[in-house]
Amino acid sequence: MTVKEFAERLNLKVMIEGEMDREITGCYIGDLLSWVMGRAPEDSAWLTVMGNINSIAVATLADVSCIVLVENAALDENAAQKADIHGVTILQTPENSYQLAVKLHGLLEE
Amino acid sequence: MRELSLNVMDVAQNSVRAQADLVRISVEESDREDFLRITIADDGCGMTEEQVQQVIDPFFTTRTTRKVGLGVPLFKLSAEQTGGSFDIRSQKGVGTTTTATYVKSHVDMTPLGDINSTVEILIRCNPGIDFVFTRSTDLGSFTLDTRELREVLEGVSLDTPDVLEWIRAYLTEQTQSIIGGADIP
Repeated sequence: MTVKEFAERLNLKVMIEGEMDREITGCYIGDLLSWVMGRAPEDSAWLTVMGNINSIAVATLADVSCIVLVENAALDENAAQKADIHGVTILQTPENSYQLAVKLHGLLEE
Repeated sequence: MRELSLNVMDVAQNSVRAQADLVRISVEESDREDFLRITIADDGCGMTEEQVQQVIDPFFTTRTTRKVGLGVPLFKLSAEQTGGSFDIRSQKGVGTTTTATYVKSHVDMTPLGDINSTVEILIRCNPGIDFVFTRSTDLGSFTLDTRELREVLEGVSLDTPDVLEWIRAYLTEQTQSIIGGADIP
């Protein structure tokens, strides 16, 4: 499933449109950036509440498919700019990480 | 980072890379005034204002193996997410001082962690560099100054096992004397 399909099917708000054709092969949840950077698998959807510039750097480093800001967590202005420059897709949802992860799991199992 | 002492290690290693002869590390905290402040000051090669801006930018790194560097940015974030502040002052040829101030009681406060081990490892791995470590709380303060140790040691290197053993015991004992209760790693 691509990032584009993921966003459409789960009705996620596209805050920054990066590489929408990237495949999503898994999911990672975490907010402690130093922890996430060494552990999030590449090509996963990363669910977090951290919408700052460092999150974009972590997403780049871990090479995740997209960031999903859960529980409508905010995206900082400078983070939005960097995400745009580096082609990192940022999605947003009112749901929490657990709710969204369960739905994502369902889609990945199809 | 899960512990602030890891941030201290990271920044102190930057000081080593900056060819510092003396690195001062201080951890000041007060429950009464609700703050914890970490300062790492070196007399290394220093940075221009432009370079300072670069090290706080996660998309800048001098490494060629990857395009982001998160050591300093995550240190900054850890302080700011408690409502504290972060500051780097540097002058080319003079040195660099990094200060992170935390609101200690904030729920997002990262634990200090095992700062004594950090100091001991820094001394062990860099026997040619001098370190001054100061820690203070509402109950008092202590300082470990490797320049003073060198005078007493008369040529014995700081990284010999007996010296390191003494440093470890000294730090443990002094820490206990200024930290009330069980807050010792």
